[in-house]
Amino acid sequence: MRAMLLRPAASLGLLLVIAHVLIAIAAPWIAPFAPTSLLDTPLEPPNATYWLGTDDLGRDAFSRLLWGGRVAMLVAFSAGAVAVLGGALLGLSAAYRRGSFDDVLLRLVEMKLAVPTILFVAIFVTGFGQSVPVLIVAVGIIQMMGVVRTTRAAGIVLMEQGYVRAAQLNGESGPTIILRDLLPNVADLMAVEFALRASSALLLVSALSFLGLGISPPTPDWGLMVEDGMALLESEPALVLAPALCIATLVLGINLAAEGLADALGLDAARGGSG
Amino acid sequence: MIYLILRRGALSLATLFLLASFIFFATEVLPGDALDVSLSADELAMMPPEVLARRKAELGLDRPILERYLSFLGGLLTFDLGRTIITRAAVADIVTMPLRNSLALAGVTLLLALPVALAIAMAAAHAKGRVLDNAVSGAAIIGYSIPEFVTGLLLIAVFAVWWPLFPATVTASTDDPLGVLLAAAPLAIATTIIGSIAYLGRILRVGLIEVMASDFVERLHLSGIPRWRILWLHALPAAMIPGLSAAALYAAALVSGVVVVELVFAYPGIGAELVRAVTRREVHVVQAIALAAAICVVLFNLVADLSIAALDPRTRR
Repeated sequence: MRAMLLRPAASLGLLLVIAHVLIAIAAPWIAPFAPTSLLDTPLEPPNATYWLGTDDLGRDAFSRLLWGGRVAMLVAFSAGAVAVLGGALLGLSAAYRRGSFDDVLLRLVEMKLAVPTILFVAIFVTGFGQSVPVLIVAVGIIQMMGVVRTTRAAGIVLMEQGYVRAAQLNGESGPTIILRDLLPNVADLMAVEFALRASSALLLVSALSFLGLGISPPTPDWGLMVEDGMALLESEPALVLAPALCIATLVLGINLAAEGLADALGLDAARGGSG
Repeated sequence: MIYLILRRGALSLATLFLLASFIFFATEVLPGDALDVSLSADELAMMPPEVLARRKAELGLDRPILERYLSFLGGLLTFDLGRTIITRAAVADIVTMPLRNSLALAGVTLLLALPVALAIAMAAAHAKGRVLDNAVSGAAIIGYSIPEFVTGLLLIAVFAVWWPLFPATVTASTDDPLGVLLAAAPLAIATTIIGSIAYLGRILRVGLIEVMASDFVERLHLSGIPRWRILWLHALPAAMIPGLSAAALYAAALVSGVVVVELVFAYPGIGAELVRAVTRREVHVVQAIALAAAICVVLFNLVADLSIAALDPRTRR
């Protein structure tokens, strides 16, 4: 952690993430107005009451901006957690068992790599409808496959270590070895993977919302706000540029922190890749 | 080599088969059948049971799952994509032109982005650890942290609104010749290129720096061969291999990027078609688009795999 904080880019990234998370948590208390109530005439220019003006329905754009990261972050961080936990267990099991289980899993990973993420979610949304739980599961599964790849590779190296062989010779069961001997040793990798998965999940969720396939109105959401405001770019640029800036700074923050963390731990962030 | 081509080809087919099965089960089995998915909950509740049963029989949805699954696969093998459930339009007719347009956008992007990304990565690797390298790494991390729709909007804001050089949206229509279409979409192309350069530049830079730190480069260096010559003649071909193995990820990212960018600029491709099909619940169109995109990515990956085998004898097992 200290090695990570010594890097200015990583500290900046961490600061950006913390600021965004705090604002998202505090939004109900610090936002001047309720994000979904119709307050005034639509498209008021920015003024003392409405700091960013009102949107096309007369809602306070600043309050919506403060609220706008909550659901996207919830989905991205939950999906990241699902991906890292599920992915690590699957990847390590594959490294432990090899054989046909490993083969099937690798084929599934390959299949996921062949489908562009947005299309993958579109298939889920077509089948199961558009809701936050569906989004978390779909995005989590997509991100999981990348984690399977990296933890499996790490697990195969660990399987050659003396203490794992000793545990095997002691007659320890598979789940015990996976949970007690392998999992703790990939904790570093999992931390980096979590950051990378969360950032790519966030990009994916905001893109989906922008397309109208992600978070649905009237929930305040940055991707949706950009989509709504696009036609007003000329007259009310703040309505579009502010949420766009929020998405970009949050993702940038996570990526910088992830890269710093990977550097500090001696892992290679670019290798994890953002699939 | 022929054995290798056959083996990789068979693996690609297996991947596509798995994917087709996944698509079928996710859209036609788990949530109910194709008609259930095509109707909204209200429409489904309003429809008398005997009408629903009759329509299902007409559409062949009363058959057992296995039979429907086999006829779905059979249809794919004969390139029969079926008809939409509600409007009975042929799916192939709906998908063909948008697919052509999207492929053109992706192709132009790849053609223009690859040399630029390569040049940038070479320059960064040449100056590793110095100002230029740090600037390139910084630009790359910013580049892939910004979603395509934000990049697109910024380009519109700058080059279409404040300084009106280009049109903000594409005015050409779906069936226009590709030349007309691409000429009408300069900002859309610029957006996908920016994303691709950030993605490719990052992968290639890491590959080049890794190769430059290896023993054989050290040896060349000690033999007195100048650094630029090592970089061009020895490191570049070696660094192409990790670059190529990231090709599948890149191809998938490119398609996702294209989908989003199309929506930003109203470019008439599969992205626009996909969103329309999902919101109108046209199951078979979503299936066809997902499969078509996957086939492109799998083919791209197959070519990359075979090129790796051609470049690196060690991988020919």
